[in-house]
Amino acid sequence: MNTPAKRRRFRSEPTWVPWLFLAPFLVTIAVFLAWPLIQSVLLSMQQTYGPRTTRWIGFENFTFLLGDPLFWKALRNTVVFACGSVFLQLPLSLGLAMLLNRPGLKGRAFFRLIFFAPSLVGLVFVGLMFALMFEKRTGMINVALHALFASFNPEFPWLQEYVMPALILAALWLYVGFNMIYFLAALQHVPAELMEAAALDGAGPWQRFRHVVVPEIMPVVSFVVLLSLLGSFQLFELPFILLNGPGPDNSGLTIVMYLYQMGFSANDLGYASAIGWMLALMLGTFALGQRLWMKKEEAK
Amino acid sequence: MHRPPSRLRTLLASASPAVWVLLAIAVVTSLYVWQRPARHYEGLLFWTAARAHTPAYAPLIEKWNRVHPPEKRVNMLLLDSGALERRMLSGFLSGTPVSDLMEVERSVAGRAFTGPVEDVGFLDLTDRLRDEGLLDKINAPSFGAWTTRGRIFGLPHDVHPVLLAYRSDIVEAAGIDVSQIETWDDLIRAFRPLMKDFDGDGRTDRYILNFWSTNGDVATALMLQAGGRFFDENDRPVINSEINARVLATLATWTAGTTRISVDAPEFSATGNQLRLQGTVIASVMPDWLAGVWKIDLPALSGKIKLMPLPTWTPGGRRTSAQGGSMLGIPKASRDPEACWAFAKELYLSPALAAESYRALSIITPVKEFWSLPVFDEPDAYFGGQPAGRLFINQAPNVPTRSSSPYGTLAQARITDALISLAAVINRTGETDVEKLLPEARRLLDFAQDQVARQVDRNVFLRPSPPVATSVSELSAPSAVSQP
Repeated sequence: MNTPAKRRRFRSEPTWVPWLFLAPFLVTIAVFLAWPLIQSVLLSMQQTYGPRTTRWIGFENFTFLLGDPLFWKALRNTVVFACGSVFLQLPLSLGLAMLLNRPGLKGRAFFRLIFFAPSLVGLVFVGLMFALMFEKRTGMINVALHALFASFNPEFPWLQEYVMPALILAALWLYVGFNMIYFLAALQHVPAELMEAAALDGAGPWQRFRHVVVPEIMPVVSFVVLLSLLGSFQLFELPFILLNGPGPDNSGLTIVMYLYQMGFSANDLGYASAIGWMLALMLGTFALGQRLWMKKEEAK
Repeated sequence: MHRPPSRLRTLLASASPAVWVLLAIAVVTSLYVWQRPARHYEGLLFWTAARAHTPAYAPLIEKWNRVHPPEKRVNMLLLDSGALERRMLSGFLSGTPVSDLMEVERSVAGRAFTGPVEDVGFLDLTDRLRDEGLLDKINAPSFGAWTTRGRIFGLPHDVHPVLLAYRSDIVEAAGIDVSQIETWDDLIRAFRPLMKDFDGDGRTDRYILNFWSTNGDVATALMLQAGGRFFDENDRPVINSEINARVLATLATWTAGTTRISVDAPEFSATGNQLRLQGTVIASVMPDWLAGVWKIDLPALSGKIKLMPLPTWTPGGRRTSAQGGSMLGIPKASRDPEACWAFAKELYLSPALAAESYRALSIITPVKEFWSLPVFDEPDAYFGGQPAGRLFINQAPNVPTRSSSPYGTLAQARITDALISLAAVINRTGETDVEKLLPEARRLLDFAQDQVARQVDRNVFLRPSPPVATSVSELSAPSAVSQP
């Protein structure tokens, strides 16, 4: 218990002391977060030719952006990729996790490593590898499919006319194992007694999955969905390397790639900042939506 | 008796050993970097990204350095192309140190021309070139890519005329006389019997031309050959011209449908080289520099390739085009622009460099008086004993002038998109009649034009400047323009 003398001494500390302790944090935030954020807002309302030549153009970057077909194309491509991630990648990850979670499975650690291993390979390497695999005539995929099915066209243009399927396929290989680990961890925390009770009550495998497993792993599912969405909307390296740019007819152009092109190829940092703020708005909306949805689920 | 821990011990115990190890590494490496002496170049610094050019430059730099004082000696530094572009831009835009002299490629130089003309980081060479008679001495179209808003910012390194390379072993064995070929239609008619399905799987195994709808470099070169342009004298886009539409429609029929004559054999790729070696490709559009690349990358084709002028789009038309290019520019921040200018002339206007660039890289000099050097008439074994240099030089005066617009890359990308879309239309509808494809080609080029024009229009630095008051009296006059 504090004595009155101690309390008095505590009260007599100068008021700036807490600020002194907070200073490193505040300075770091101010220099590396607040200041760049403010600057990027200002930049998004300017046209620049380097930091020395700037012109204030108000909201012109944003109005141009809304009428820019390339931005909408990049957004559409990104949404398609995100849908591929959520509706193909995650069910596959969950399926693999359920297979590995089967009781009595031998070599679980080995399979886990095998499925997880692609995630250890960098995105750039994956891009290069798949670029070779998707080559017309000489790529492994076309050669193998042509060998298996003679009618398959060895010139099948994966990276020219089927860019999005190719990207989703490459990302699938890379991330299925990674997401599987999350699901496997969640599945291992589903109480066995709940499953047994459901089985005793006559619930079949689908009903047990639907009414026991899914509600139990829902927080992890929602987290992985959010992670996949955020990752998909920040997609850059994979298409950039795989297609050596935005791809034919910009079919592999993503929002972040467009931002990069505008900022660092076209030197239009103001426009790139406007794209960045639009992206931030979208990601913020997803995060907020997920939070509200989770609160609603918890309230149930 | 228990002794209280010392302050040092307390401090050390306040964090894990790993933290202290990381901190120690950070301190030691920082000290190392801080203490390391900065690389210092005595004299003038010359950046280039063209590794292939450097062996030809080295003896000339050595010769220059022998007769000049240390402060005027040239140090050549080979940089990666991306690194050179970034250093150039950060130097021009933010004032970071740049070299005294730099050799840049066409697409890189264009990026320096995005802003106000007075802010271009290169020294304006227009007056020097005119006063010293170099405008007449150098092949005029070679200046196009380095000229913006009427001012020239670089000394051209090359011409890069384009010819057609073909597999002479295949063509001559079939008894085809290429001297009878004038137009692209003639070529397709003569070479079509060579397109064959050798293994009987119902797919063609040999095609007339290496070209694909994604190959914007060749597509735009062929549009230029036909007389098309992408920007006018004021750098306004003029993509949707009738000439461009007609070429676009024709090129699309080459890559799709029953009229397909081309295969995708990209340059600088293992796949493309394999297709060339196995004879899947008969002819390729070939700028002079590519001839040099083939000699190194595809020695197995030596003696099996010959060159001919590009077939024309209309009888009597242009039989060449231009692809690629480099220039030597002097940054405004150069420490000694006069010495740099003297060196630039000694290097690029040297007959020794003209001969060596051709011998080593098959590159034709833009200096017209050197076109009579005997080296260009030497028979080239790689090209079946043809004097390849002379064939390129014969077409050099006819190369089209290209724009230096910073939106050139964008224009090419949009034209390529249009070509891809038109090829997709052919695949979807089966329509291969150029006349019937023309309306769609025009529509796609209108869209491309609109896209580029929107980007050009929103660049406030390229808009014509409003009249600005130049004196106090003008400021007070009622007609003075008020600027926000």
